[in-house]
Amino acid sequence: MSRSRLERIILLLFLAVLGAAWIYYSREPAQSTQSFLVEAPIVGQLAPDFTVSDVNGNSVALLDYVVREGEGGRPVVLNFWASWCGPCRIETPHFQELSLRYRDQVAILGVNQGESLATITDFGVSFGLTYPLLYDADNNVNDAYNVVNLPTTIFIDRQGVVREVYVGAISQAVLMERINRLVEE
Amino acid sequence: MFPTISIGPLAFPTAGLLTILGVYVLLSVVERAALRLGQDANRLYSLAVTTVVAGFVGARLTFVLLYWPAYRTDLLSIVWPLNSGFNVWGGLFVALAAGFFYGRFHQLAPWPTLDALVPGVIVGLIIVSLIDFLAGPGFGKLTSAPWGITQFSVRRHPVQIYEILVGLLALFSWWQFHRDRLFAGQLFLLATALYSGGRLFVDAFRENAWIAANGIHILQVICLILMLASLYGLGQLAEKTAVNRA
Repeated sequence: MSRSRLERIILLLFLAVLGAAWIYYSREPAQSTQSFLVEAPIVGQLAPDFTVSDVNGNSVALLDYVVREGEGGRPVVLNFWASWCGPCRIETPHFQELSLRYRDQVAILGVNQGESLATITDFGVSFGLTYPLLYDADNNVNDAYNVVNLPTTIFIDRQGVVREVYVGAISQAVLMERINRLVEE
Repeated sequence: MFPTISIGPLAFPTAGLLTILGVYVLLSVVERAALRLGQDANRLYSLAVTTVVAGFVGARLTFVLLYWPAYRTDLLSIVWPLNSGFNVWGGLFVALAAGFFYGRFHQLAPWPTLDALVPGVIVGLIIVSLIDFLAGPGFGKLTSAPWGITQFSVRRHPVQIYEILVGLLALFSWWQFHRDRLFAGQLFLLATALYSGGRLFVDAFRENAWIAANGIHILQVICLILMLASLYGLGQLAEKTAVNRA
């Protein structure tokens, strides 16, 4: 074996050991991220809690569904919409169908942006919606989730952690895939 | 941070806009790199277009096949909306296969072709990091460093910016050596080694890394293998070139 080849092999071995050591050093300790969670509408952080009324006047809070500690909660899909928003109208039937299919496994909540209670009610009736439509009178929920474009859909796991922020119309296949992922966790 | 870019009353999805821009820049870079290396720019441009289109279609079709029951009742949804519903691995496989068969069909020499393609690939990866920074779900670990960025009152490593800097370093290496390359494949292997080595280092600062059950960052393992393979290839080609010259 020539000297230059031996030097190259030694260099490669050195880099392999160095790289492996760095990988080992930067590995994630179990549950390390949980202690750093803050309430924010970004992926990996706790979803901001809220309490608003649905079209029937019932009080709905995020913490009614998810659990921040322990077991027993269920995932939540927050869909921000408005009646004037074309893409929202396209995707609304998908939410309805999947809310029935995953009735006891996931909570789908439709959060309106800036419209009257009458408009929200009419929208729900015209699409035959059975999942809760929330009346966000002062856009507090929209603001808390930084919703600047409609539709926006936010996937929250059963511990209340935001798993994905999806901007734009969502197809039924994508919605089902995301819900399946949340349910199977 | 910026899921949409507002122009007057219109709001455009940042990721979509940057993807279109990124493909345009990527193709331009491949064309210019081919010209600088004295290769057939039209042929390499076509190769890049074929690979990008095949990757896009492959990623979509893989996703559709995986979730066929949801598409069966609404065939139009296969082609619209397209703002999500892509399988990265399916796309990568189809893109690589398309590029391979295109190269074989047109009898392109592998190493010179890869030398010309690699700046485009790195530009593509830089754009992916930029999209992730502006409109993606990625974010860095907590830090008190002065260059940390504040997200919802918490300072974090701007890990995507680190990734972009690594990409720029790899591009710089290509630029430095492209006039005086000693052998075909040198530019590709050197840029790959630098980029994968850099990503191996900076992925440690990513909070939402792709993690194996034992806490190991999977991307770091892939990068280590790529870096070592590239360096080994560099050594082999250099030795072969020296023997041929002697």
